[in-house]
Amino acid sequence: MRLTQNPELLDRLAAAYALGTLRGGARRRFEQHAREHAQVRAAALLWQGRWSAFSEVQTPVPPDPAVWVRINNLIEADKANAATSRQREASATKRLKHGLAWWRSAALIGGLATVVAVSVGLWSHRGLKDASQQQLAALQTQLQTAHAALQATPQIQYVAVLASGKADASVLVTFDPRLHRLTLQRIGDYQEAPDRSLQLWALPSQGAPRSLGVLGSGKLEKLTAQEAEVQAVPVLAISLEPKGGVPSETGPTGPVLFKGALIHRDL
Amino acid sequence: MELLDRVAAQEQAALKLLYDQTASRLYGIALRILGNKEWAEDVLQDSFLGIWRNAGTYRGSLSPPLAWMGMLVRSRALDFLRRRRAERLHLNVPIEDVEELLQDKEAQNPMQWVEASEQAIVLHQCLQQLEQPQRQVVSLAYLRDLSHSELASNLKLPLGTVKTWMRRSLEQLRKCMARHV
Repeated sequence: MRLTQNPELLDRLAAAYALGTLRGGARRRFEQHAREHAQVRAAALLWQGRWSAFSEVQTPVPPDPAVWVRINNLIEADKANAATSRQREASATKRLKHGLAWWRSAALIGGLATVVAVSVGLWSHRGLKDASQQQLAALQTQLQTAHAALQATPQIQYVAVLASGKADASVLVTFDPRLHRLTLQRIGDYQEAPDRSLQLWALPSQGAPRSLGVLGSGKLEKLTAQEAEVQAVPVLAISLEPKGGVPSETGPTGPVLFKGALIHRDL
Repeated sequence: MELLDRVAAQEQAALKLLYDQTASRLYGIALRILGNKEWAEDVLQDSFLGIWRNAGTYRGSLSPPLAWMGMLVRSRALDFLRRRRAERLHLNVPIEDVEELLQDKEAQNPMQWVEASEQAIVLHQCLQQLEQPQRQVVSLAYLRDLSHSELASNLKLPLGTVKTWMRRSLEQLRKCMARHV
């Protein structure tokens, strides 16, 4: 069959194909031609577009008002289910946090071991009555240095993974109460629009959300916070706000994009 | 229509607005395909839940919003029919009732063409040139995805009649629509 040289026949077959009435062997042969010739594919697409208007030319009929009531009820049920599964997700991220906590503890125990070693050394030197004052002074300096180094090592005592309800993106939040430092690390590729800012909120179990600060646009952001602001806060959240954020008193004005439980690690 | 974007952002008020604007039209499609009010209501409900959950995927499609929703309703209605057939629940659809119901409305609705696409207006004009039964055969073939023999048994017409009507109608539509390209 010289379909491509017979425009009239091609048009007729394409119309029947797109309408759905071309069946069986004739349909398979048409599809074979379509695979081989762009002209045949184009004709089929043209007719698919034309026939698709069938759904537009149907007479509108108002449905029974009860239909909307049912849809609305089902959506409410949907939202309730989504809330439950978010809780389940939160407990999954908790397991992740335990893993993280283990690494942090390991690092800290390493640090403590150094202190113990230095202290033991110091004690034994003290035991030697004939040790010179200079030696002692040198050791004390050493201890101070070790102590300062330990002070400088971040002590992460609070951890939260703020997960987004939709995308894979999340934000890892850690808080070092001694350095008064909140560190936020973006995971995944969420990026707010240039005229927007992300704002971190503490959601206390009672009372209104309190702003903990506005994030810059970088992958790693640091904010300053006192331990009192973070202590006993069960949940942290990040909302999308106008550039520069909103005052703490007004509370979040934009949608909450990330949210998660704040875990206080017991060392 | 930014309404679908707002629905994708899970704004419930936007879904209500979208429903108010499109439900009659989509219900009309479901009713035409299914020929049964209760089934059409089920499919409409199911479709709107689908729109609520998947409005985000609309961005990826090239169709205008109404056409996208129309396709969604049609495919759900066809799935519904297939399921019923598989469960051997498929019965003789009371097409006459639906025809009556639709005919009542037809005259009262000059406004439905205000927002219609050009393609829809052309198809409508060309369909108007066919006799009512022929028009119905072609519409049902497409909307219900029926073969000649399925059409014949659905409409309780001899297979030969369906084939003849179909051939003539298709020729007439083809020529009419070619003029509008």
